Amino acid sequence: MKKYLRIIGKALSTLLFFMTGITVGAQQISATEIVRKADEKWNGETSGYSLMKMTIVRPSWQRTIEFKSWSLEDDYALTLITSPAREKGQTFLKRVNELWSWNPAINRLIKLPPSMMSQGWMGSDYTNDDILRESSIVEDYTHAIEKEEIVGGNMCFKIILTAKDDADVLWGRQIWWIDQKEFIVLKAELFDEDGYLVRSEIASELRILDGRLLPTHIELIPAEEEGSKTVLDIVEMKFNIKLEENFFSQQNMKSIR
Amino acid sequence: MKDYQLAWRNLWRNKRRTMITAASVFFAVFFALVMRSFQLGTYDKLFKDVIESYTGYIQVQQKDYFDEPIIDNSFEIEPVLLQQIQNDQNVTAVIPRLESFALAAAGSVTQGTMVIGIDSEGEDKVMNLRNKLVRFKITPGAVEEIRKEDVPERLKKLLDIYSGEAYTNVERLMMDFAIREGDSSSVLPLIRKHASFENSYLTSGDMSGVLIGNGLAEYLKLGVGDTVDLIGQGYHGASAAGKYVVRGIVRLPSPEIDNILVYMQIDAAREFYDAPGMVTSAIINIKDRDDGDVAVTISRLQKYISDQQALHSWKELNALLVNQMEADNKSGAIMLGILYLVIAFGVFGTVLMMLAERRREFGMLISIGMQKGKLAKIVSFEMLLIGLLGVVAGVIASLPVVFLGHFYPLKFKGEVGQMYENYGFDPVMPTMLPDIFYLWQVVVVLLILLISISFSIRKVNRINVINAIRA
Repeated sequence: MKKYLRIIGKALSTLLFFMTGITVGAQQISATEIVRKADEKWNGETSGYSLMKMTIVRPSWQRTIEFKSWSLEDDYALTLITSPAREKGQTFLKRVNELWSWNPAINRLIKLPPSMMSQGWMGSDYTNDDILRESSIVEDYTHAIEKEEIVGGNMCFKIILTAKDDADVLWGRQIWWIDQKEFIVLKAELFDEDGYLVRSEIASELRILDGRLLPTHIELIPAEEEGSKTVLDIVEMKFNIKLEENFFSQQNMKSIR
Repeated sequence: MKDYQLAWRNLWRNKRRTMITAASVFFAVFFALVMRSFQLGTYDKLFKDVIESYTGYIQVQQKDYFDEPIIDNSFEIEPVLLQQIQNDQNVTAVIPRLESFALAAAGSVTQGTMVIGIDSEGEDKVMNLRNKLVRFKITPGAVEEIRKEDVPERLKKLLDIYSGEAYTNVERLMMDFAIREGDSSSVLPLIRKHASFENSYLTSGDMSGVLIGNGLAEYLKLGVGDTVDLIGQGYHGASAAGKYVVRGIVRLPSPEIDNILVYMQIDAAREFYDAPGMVTSAIINIKDRDDGDVAVTISRLQKYISDQQALHSWKELNALLVNQMEADNKSGAIMLGILYLVIAFGVFGTVLMMLAERRREFGMLISIGMQKGKLAKIVSFEMLLIGLLGVVAGVIASLPVVFLGHFYPLKFKGEVGQMYENYGFDPVMPTMLPDIFYLWQVVVVLLILLISISFSIRKVNRINVINAIRA
């Protein structure tokens, strides 16, 4: 009986959505609330550690990089490349809005200049800007639910995020597909200020990592380049580990293993 | 008496008139030739500089490399292909290269550079790289030392002017410092003593040595034996980073290249960029270098390469420079056009004047039985002779200037020189030795004469004897 009610409720609300375009779902949850919940999946804790595998796919070749990374709040992050052998030992440090790189082959610490910000990190489709300019998805955008759609077998809210006028953000507009049960972003499309699709991100393979259900396979597909993508596989992830701000130092860049 | 004899004598009946007309032709030819010679010579040097120090005459590349010159668009060149190209009748050498960009750092200074992996011996044969090693460097320190010695005032002045300059050969140095063969004994040893520059070339199998451009060395404050760090992106997204020792400093004629160039052995570059066995291009050097020969050679080589590769001529490889020069050439042609227009009216004016002055004479001649046709013929001969006089004098007068300008080219120093260098040009303006363009100037002058002649023939034929005699 309860199930029936829900289905009827859903049908009604869908109808309502088509008439008013504002509310969706039996719970009458607001778009901003959905986005906040989804955002907290990743950024809810103060510190974290992860082990990831990144595969860069190009029309004629592909290669895989493995790295560990530590982060504290939104401002500090340290990444150590562990494989392949040629890249091993390189580290990257993010401190607020600076990005540093350490290369053991030349024993040199380099602060990445602004001109390199739009370049791909380690040759991938992630730009240095993506890593550095993490804007608040909740604060800097306005949110509106457009409709419900199925992504990868899960019913999702399709939410349009539009950058606020005064926000300093990379993307002028984003479309997110957020799972209705778990509030996990399963798909996102990112548009630049002129409204052109720049890239899509698709998440799948939900697994429990350190007590949380998270997608462990993320594909990043640039819109303009046929046959190119970057695939990120999360191997291990820990939250709320003990890290101090002084862990994210230039000294530690050189010594961390 | 023959017609041309009559014409010749007529010319010298009024020397001043003849000289004025001939002089106007002379100046036209002289200025046009000198101007054109400088212009063509400068283009020629610009092209030669970039071809012979960088692009070569023809290149084989992977087909996408031309539009997107990144290391991912490199290819593996088969020895068979190299051999086939080498066997072509017009090809003298084929040398492989692997080039890409990298950031060079020394101390706290960094500069974006172009790292070119070369076959050092092949590159030397084709691009004469060994001769581009700096042999003398007039550093401020060297200037001080030389000043302390007993040297003539003039040399001190020249030292100030050429301070900071690097020389790859003695001839150039002797020219700049106005040292003649005879007195080289006194000054040259001093310069040798204080300004000589120790340099070495890349040895085969050298995996850690680089040669860098003089401009780059100045900017990064690097000397021979210093270490330079290179960092960039390698093949298929690999990271490229390494420490290299500066083995030598080369001075390349094109400042644009001189300021960013790093040479290393191709195997060292392959390791640096993680691109074993790859090349981004193979430079093909040829014997006959005219545009036609280049095109024919390319079409002949076309059958050896696969559909994944492409051949490009130096004109395609330097499209920007070619366009710039063409635009400049057009403006030069317009200047020439204006010059000729002025001259044409000058010549035409004197012809009109002459015809008016000699109206009575012509009337008399015709009335005592001279045929109009014969008269017209004589007048035509006169003008042809004046024209030839001017052309020959102009050509002869231009020759010393052109030859001098070719072997001792104009060199800009100071602000003007700086301006040229900022545009990426070597501030040197040589002339071009007499070539087909000389003939064209003569043809143009003769055309102007032809118009004047046809006008005067008409005038003579239409002469009214009665009116003419009364004039």
